[in-house]
Amino acid sequence: MLKSTFTPVFSLFPAKPRTPKLFYYSNITNTFKHNPPSVRRNASSNTILTTSTTPLSQLTPTSAYIHLPFCRKRCHYCDFPIVALGSSSNQPDDDPRILNYVQLLCREINATKVESKTNPPLQTVFFGGGTPSLVPPKLVSSVLEVLRLKFGLSSNAEISMEMDPGTFDAKKMKELIGLGVNRVSLGVQAFQEELLKACGRAHGLEEVYEAIEIVGSCGVENWSMDLISSLPNQTSEMWEESLRLTVEAEPTHVSVYDLQVEQGTKFGILYTPGEFPLPSETQSAEFYRMASNTLSDASYNHYEISSYCKSGFECKHNLTYWRNKPFYGFGLGSASYVGGLRFSRPRKIKEYTGYVQNLENGVADCCGNDSVEPKDVAMDVVMLSLRTSRGLDLKSFKEAYGGSLVFSLFKVYKPYVESGHVVCLDEHRRVVPADELSTALLDVDRIEKSLAYIRLSDPDGFLLSNELIALAFGAIAP
Amino acid sequence: MGSLSRASKTLKSVRHFSLTHPFPSIFKGNPLYTRLNDHHFGLSHGFCSHPRQNSKENGIDLSNYPTERIRNFSIIAHVDHGKSTLADRLLELTGTIKRGHGQPQYLDKLQVERERGITVKAQTATMFHKHNFRGTDISDVQDQPSFLLNLIDTPGHVDFSYEVSRSLAACQGALLVVDAAQGVQAQTVANFYLAFESNLTIIPVINKIDQPTADPDLVKAQLKSMFDLDPSDALLTSAKTGQGLDQVLPAVIERIPPPPGKSGSPLRMLLLDSYYDEYKGVICHVAVVDGMLRKGDKISSAATGQAYEVLDVGIMHPELTPTGVLHSGQVGYVVSGMRSTKEARVGDTLSHSRSVVEPLPGFKPAKHMVFSGVYPADGSDFEALNHAIERLTCNDASVSVAKESSTALGLGFRCGFLGLLHMDVFHQRLEQEYGAHVISTVPTVPYIFEYSDESKVLVQNPAALPSNPTKRISACWEPTVMATIIIPSEYVGPVITLCSERRGQQLEYSFIDSQRVFMKYRLPLREIVVDFYNELKSITSGYASFDYEDAEYQQSDLVKLDVLLNGQPVDAMATIVHNLKAQRVGRELVDKLKKFIDRQMFEITIQAAIGSKIIARETISAMRKNVLAKCYGGDITRKKKLLEKQKEGKKRMKRVGSVDIPQEAFHELLKVS
Ligand SMILES: Nc1nc2c(ncn2[C@@H]2O[C@H](COP(=O)(O)OP(=O)(O)OP(=O)(O)O)[C@@H](O)[C@H]2O)c(=O)[nH]1
Ligand SMILES: [Mg+2]
Repeated sequence: MLKSTFTPVFSLFPAKPRTPKLFYYSNITNTFKHNPPSVRRNASSNTILTTSTTPLSQLTPTSAYIHLPFCRKRCHYCDFPIVALGSSSNQPDDDPRILNYVQLLCREINATKVESKTNPPLQTVFFGGGTPSLVPPKLVSSVLEVLRLKFGLSSNAEISMEMDPGTFDAKKMKELIGLGVNRVSLGVQAFQEELLKACGRAHGLEEVYEAIEIVGSCGVENWSMDLISSLPNQTSEMWEESLRLTVEAEPTHVSVYDLQVEQGTKFGILYTPGEFPLPSETQSAEFYRMASNTLSDASYNHYEISSYCKSGFECKHNLTYWRNKPFYGFGLGSASYVGGLRFSRPRKIKEYTGYVQNLENGVADCCGNDSVEPKDVAMDVVMLSLRTSRGLDLKSFKEAYGGSLVFSLFKVYKPYVESGHVVCLDEHRRVVPADELSTALLDVDRIEKSLAYIRLSDPDGFLLSNELIALAFGAIAP
Repeated sequence: MGSLSRASKTLKSVRHFSLTHPFPSIFKGNPLYTRLNDHHFGLSHGFCSHPRQNSKENGIDLSNYPTERIRNFSIIAHVDHGKSTLADRLLELTGTIKRGHGQPQYLDKLQVERERGITVKAQTATMFHKHNFRGTDISDVQDQPSFLLNLIDTPGHVDFSYEVSRSLAACQGALLVVDAAQGVQAQTVANFYLAFESNLTIIPVINKIDQPTADPDLVKAQLKSMFDLDPSDALLTSAKTGQGLDQVLPAVIERIPPPPGKSGSPLRMLLLDSYYDEYKGVICHVAVVDGMLRKGDKISSAATGQAYEVLDVGIMHPELTPTGVLHSGQVGYVVSGMRSTKEARVGDTLSHSRSVVEPLPGFKPAKHMVFSGVYPADGSDFEALNHAIERLTCNDASVSVAKESSTALGLGFRCGFLGLLHMDVFHQRLEQEYGAHVISTVPTVPYIFEYSDESKVLVQNPAALPSNPTKRISACWEPTVMATIIIPSEYVGPVITLCSERRGQQLEYSFIDSQRVFMKYRLPLREIVVDFYNELKSITSGYASFDYEDAEYQQSDLVKLDVLLNGQPVDAMATIVHNLKAQRVGRELVDKLKKFIDRQMFEITIQAAIGSKIIARETISAMRKNVLAKCYGGDITRKKKLLEKQKEGKKRMKRVGSVDIPQEAFHELLKVS
């Protein structure tokens, strides 16, 4: 059954010659061993420097996001485009829904237009969901295969996968590693049985410990512990415990998402943000500070609003987002940024199927030809870079959008530099004190000389990032 | 003619009646409305034989209507007693509008009028009606003489009584409409006196007799006791069912005298109103008092000396209907190439350029009771607002406008209004008719402050008064009103309590009939400006009626109340209040602001202060968290939209120092009394 339905996936592209690097398992392990983290980090920042003269968004993407929407059930806070398989499906390996979807996904990838044959190969692939770890490794393999044939896949590409406790065992983990998956994003969310239950997670605490054990024993060096703060009935003690256990598990990366109560979700019906049993605004701000302090003390860098990592273990894939670099997106509801245009695919299977069909018939095009205002791009750049600890690179921003924009940005931010929400840095990333900023603000040239970056402070500025970014928007597009 | 001037002389002698004497005994035996009953009978005959001159535009030949065949009358009443509905019926009865076509209250054309169900602007309509005087014997309707009737529907609300007095200047009579169930109410009294003091023939019309609670006899008795109007002269109507309506126009024709103008004299016409039309330019409503006006005539304004050519002239029938000519006694419109309504001064006398005439008395200027700042909601829209205000004041000349500026709100205008409803209507019209969104500052009444060096200042904007003056203030005065309150007697207690809370002084207390009490109070204008009427209505289950007219200034213990945000005074929020109320008002202002200003990145202190003394204080703690942690799968469009919305929200705010004030905060402050 599985085989017969599976074959067509491959039959979609049998004519193309297979790339020589089809089996590169050993290459991957080599990457781990011989590429020390610091080298990798330098490599990624070098890319930024060399490409800063051409608009990043116009480059050919070297990142791909793959949406694998399947979950056993929908979590109470989730409003993503997912497909709940239900508890009956104990054997996701045989589930035709997964199979059909992956076929469709591969058709989408195949139907995507590529500019030239000499494009650089993909450097990052991110399997997000849903619960990608529910998808049988064989199908994951087929997706990677299509990607490799279509775009090329760098031998040391970062291939991340979101995995939920209770959806994989050591065998599956090893298979995935064998396919090239080298980064795991583990959806633990909380270390309290009652909280896991309350948010409708399909796993318990036991599975959490099991999963951590499997990830470690299978030798995944680069993995992220994903947590959610501000859950209903979550206390400071619980949060403290989760953070402590996280540090003890020694992941190379930690993501901390503040619970977002979305309309239409179960939480959205049950709860109002800031009201019991959700923590108050003050308390949830406190949770954010606790995470920032605890993880910093455990020598994690708070490199993005909700991301922490050990030195050199930034999620490269996510860095493409924060740097406003282009990326492909494939699958249900996924977003792409190609040729300077952002595009979101349909969030319902039926519409998505139609979209793929149109794409194959050449009727649809995921990148259209609408023009994008430079101001809009400037806003994207500000919004994304201010999420990171690196902040906004003033030099390249000025080159792209003009000095007056930088000037008005500073004018708007001046009081917040004084209040400590915004930090100015010189080219050596030394903090420029607020009073020096006042003199720098006297003329545009001085700004350029003494200031190289502007970032939001951690945690005060990060905590109010929406407010601060909205202010910046006001400066860019009054 | 002789009888007319005699009649007005008799009336002159009673002119000094003021509202302080509501039951003048002099009325007794002064039958105002019966004086001209059968006078025109003979005259009407002669004109009938004139051939119709249908060569005139629209087939209406105004020369068929000498003054003897003209009646000019207003419909006046308390709010909602049915003036506009009665006007509908009369327009239908005369075939001026088709029955059941147009909307109800046909003459209420403005969107605000339709939405609020009230008339705010007087409207004139010309009708033609055949009528046979009593005693004559013309059975064939065709042979009955036709009359030209000018009807002016007026607003009932106290704020617009200026419209009523202007309308009355073009009339010789008025239908005083009284709701058969509600009886005489406060504006009935006020409007009666306006008509009475203008020497008009008053025809009492007891309307809404179809209502189950109608009690026309009681109303007749009230009319008798309050105004000495003879019960047998009252017409009983229902503008809803049509009952009794056939009596109305005969009464108008038979009881109201024709206009007194001299057709042989040089042209004199009174400019009643004007408005701006995108296509035609300024359109003036005029009453031709003497002489005759033709299309193509050269006319001059007595006020400005400016000369114009009459490009179009006609009547409101009820839409503009060109007639090429207006004869004495007629009311119509003139288009004369005026470019702004500033040139068209209401109350001005227009005459032929070559002749020299004695100007007509005109109107006393509108009295502005409340002032407030009007600012563009979006600071960059000043020019647009300027344009909108210029246009609207063309159509509402009763607003005074002067430029001013505020640190909080930027460039704007200080506007004087006839009352709070007028202010509301003005704002609404700015928005609906000109698309201007405005922020209004707290309305204030005009105060007078005197300094120790005996210099005096009139303060129309509290912000203009120094908070810590260098000169000592030796005295302050505030405007007062003479208020009329009519209530069922069971509510006397609470109403008296309310009036004394509002620093009122009772001047009169009497019974209209066995159930209704009439009271007169002197009240500080400030106390009634905001919510007095609402309060009054709520404590009397809606039964109270209220009217006022301005009275003199009285000395008072006034202080300037500043509102400070993070220590910085917000000029647009300053008010002047009575010392004894400062504490309460200050507290209310601070609480309102706390409710409507959102948390911001810094802590905000809100204070109310008199000089350097803080009398109320609140703080809004700093925002703790405003972050969207997740930016999943690179899908940033949703997040960006959110942030853009947040940005737009900020744009609509007014910034004082580092504090963003939402527009609602300003709107809410208007409700603090
Ligand atoms: N039952 C009944 N209702 C009436 C009669 N005449 C008017 N109304 C109603 O009374 C209400 C007020 O009527 P209007 O004609 O707008 O009153 P108005 O005096 O012009 O009001 P303002 O212009 O606001 O002072 C409307 O709902 C009418 O339908 C009547 O004879 N009988
Ligand atoms: Mg009306």
